[in-house]
Amino acid sequence: MMDAFKEFFDIVGVFFVLYMIGYASFLFLAVTVGTSELYKLKRRNQLKNELLGEYYVPVTIVVPAYNEEVTIEANIRSLLALDYKLYEIVVVDDGSSDDTSKVVRDAFHMQQISRPIQRKIPCQAEEVIYESYEWKVPITLIRKKNGGKADALNMGINAAKYPYFICMDADSVLQYDSLEKIVRPVLEDSSVVAVGGVVRPCNGTEIHDGHVVSYRMPDQIVPCMQVLEYDRSFLAARILFDRFNGSIIISGAFGLFHKNTVVEAGGYDPGTIGEDMELVVKLHVYCRENGIPYRIRYATDAVCWTQAPEKLGDLCKQRRRWHIGLFQSMMRHRRIFLNPKYGLVGLISYLYFLVYELLSPYIEVFGILTIVLAFAVDLINVPFMILFFGIYVVYSAILSLTAFFARIYTVDLKLSFSDVLKAIGLCVVEVSCLRLVLAWVRATALIGYRRRKHAWGRIERKKIRFK
Amino acid sequence: MKVEFMIYIYGAVCASMIVFNIIYNLLLKGSESRMQNRCQKMRSKINAQISRLAAGKNVEEAHLQELRRKLSHINHLMAFHQVLQEDMEKKPDLYREYRHQMRPVVIYMAAVYRDKENMQAGYFAYFLSCYTADKQMAMDSLQDILLDYVQKSNLYCRFNALQALYHFGTPETIAKALRIADDGSVFLHEKLITEGLLSYTGDYHALIEELWKNIMRYSPHTQLAILNYIRFRSGEYQREMYEIMMDKKADKELCLAAIRYCGKYPYEPAYGPLLAFVEDKDDTKWEFATVAASSLASYEGAAVIDALKEALHSSNWYVRYAAAQSLEHLHVNYGDVVDITAGSDRYAREMLMYRLESRKLQSLEV
Repeated sequence: MMDAFKEFFDIVGVFFVLYMIGYASFLFLAVTVGTSELYKLKRRNQLKNELLGEYYVPVTIVVPAYNEEVTIEANIRSLLALDYKLYEIVVVDDGSSDDTSKVVRDAFHMQQISRPIQRKIPCQAEEVIYESYEWKVPITLIRKKNGGKADALNMGINAAKYPYFICMDADSVLQYDSLEKIVRPVLEDSSVVAVGGVVRPCNGTEIHDGHVVSYRMPDQIVPCMQVLEYDRSFLAARILFDRFNGSIIISGAFGLFHKNTVVEAGGYDPGTIGEDMELVVKLHVYCRENGIPYRIRYATDAVCWTQAPEKLGDLCKQRRRWHIGLFQSMMRHRRIFLNPKYGLVGLISYLYFLVYELLSPYIEVFGILTIVLAFAVDLINVPFMILFFGIYVVYSAILSLTAFFARIYTVDLKLSFSDVLKAIGLCVVEVSCLRLVLAWVRATALIGYRRRKHAWGRIERKKIRFK
Repeated sequence: MKVEFMIYIYGAVCASMIVFNIIYNLLLKGSESRMQNRCQKMRSKINAQISRLAAGKNVEEAHLQELRRKLSHINHLMAFHQVLQEDMEKKPDLYREYRHQMRPVVIYMAAVYRDKENMQAGYFAYFLSCYTADKQMAMDSLQDILLDYVQKSNLYCRFNALQALYHFGTPETIAKALRIADDGSVFLHEKLITEGLLSYTGDYHALIEELWKNIMRYSPHTQLAILNYIRFRSGEYQREMYEIMMDKKADKELCLAAIRYCGKYPYEPAYGPLLAFVEDKDDTKWEFATVAASSLASYEGAAVIDALKEALHSSNWYVRYAAAQSLEHLHVNYGDVVDITAGSDRYAREMLMYRLESRKLQSLEV
């Protein structure tokens, strides 16, 4: 019996060593490439190697909203403050049970209008449409039957008048220059069909007319740790994937898409709650299968500020949704896995997301259970285990801090000394505690997920400090 | 043992990344003050020369020599640029003269930066686009060197060099630069070309003439950008555009651009063909019908109204939308289109009603 245990633990040990080496190598490569890319970009901008001038690609901003009466007005005001000329705002109220539509109608003096909308992508019927031409750019409000976020986005695409659209969340605000920055890749390369922006938690940040007037780490621990986590994932992994056109996720909080390509690919899938990732994978598949030259880019300087959940419960809910979305997207497009037809997307991106995102919570929980079992049968070297865990924590914390500081320095944000200390302290907590909690949440996310298929994610909203 | 070795390697590299971050941050903080120092020194040197100019003397040769040496370094060039930008408005005439006397230095620098890496070359081209912002600064030899910058296979370098040429280049050089940039090695969005040409401050008639003379030497992509530029700038190319519109072999996008031109600048001979485009029921030609329907907003007559009303029944959404929009532009009343608003075609009715309501809404709010 003991021999069997030993053999089992040996196999598990080898597996985990390979798993950790793979992850460490990836993370290291990603952070190195991401950091150097950011510094390069800063230098490039200093030397005016950018498309300076007023080059406006017409863009429709689609804001899907469901029970967003608290944040929707600030969101639209932030959109009106954007430093860009040629755009329109389309708010889609997905059958909210609160006063979302009323808030928009009253705040922006909207008038009801009978507007026909072409159903290029199927979606639930509109109930009533309002428009306003009183502001810097036209605003449209469409109230429709509830159908989920993907369905609301499809309605927004159908109503969009311009060739590019931006999808964003109603609880987010765009930085004043974010539109100009996110369209640049389109001006640089005609084959660009989608561009992802950077999403940053705005908790603790004060934004005035789209400009950050004061930046500090959030007071609460949970959003503070998310700041570190967002930087690590956005500035590291996505920049690396961008290098080989392998990005398979553009955050639903801020992304630009070529409308016709999205329509031809079938739009957002209302059957998944990870509609943002599903669409990007679908675009890869569509373009590759039809021999369309394409690029999916990532704009590291196009910034969207979003509210990170402040309560652990809300964070868990959010991550559960994300994990289900990841599962659905990956299952739906499983044929691209290791399929040479899909190039590095199927080989590297899909493999990474499968092993280190989708399966990682199960692997991590399995690892912990194995440790417990080994401890129970007295087959564990406790000092070595502690040393190994310590190395893991220090290693991950250093990479998180590298990404965090790289971001801070390259975008000219000023950080107080106490915030630096907070970041250093909390990155250790994040990798050693929060990660394990979230691993458990994600590991159990798929239990009963079918019941929540079309539901909007709900977290407690606070008014955004946008002036 | 191997695993431990890898862990140590990773740990060492990560630690060095943190050290790099810290050093970079310190350098960054120091770089601002270093730049300020550089600017201060540069300012005092320039001010001395400005004082000489104010006293009716020339810029010292020693100063020009020093500039040749110093401005070959990008950081000094940036400081020099910053000082000029900040101080130029104070004494514009003296600074103009200063820049005039500095021309040999600029030409020398152009040759120096031409051989530097693309990013630095791009900055120099940007500097030129700001520095030589008036036609007096135009120098033939500088324009020739800038053509070498346009040749570089780097988007930003090309873009900045073109921007510089739009500021002080001759029509011949700009036309030549666009031909070089049209080599296909670097994608230059047609919007960048059109907007760039629009920023040209010289005689745009001469520029258009030069571009038109060479139009067949450009790719359809650049031709489209030029056609759009002409549409924004001049109404004197109606006949030429009409010919493109009628040319069955012409590129589709060029043809559509020509139809748009005929919409912006009504041209009698185009009237019939535009009606024909709108009346064409061929589904594959919906783009022509849509753009022609938009263009007809600039034409009058019962035939136009009839054609647009008929287009409201098109199976294509965009054709219906464009037709409704044009009818709205032509200020049709509800009475004029009662056959549509009370008709049985729901799609036509909805589209027209929307545009009429929309017009009402805009007139209330604007």
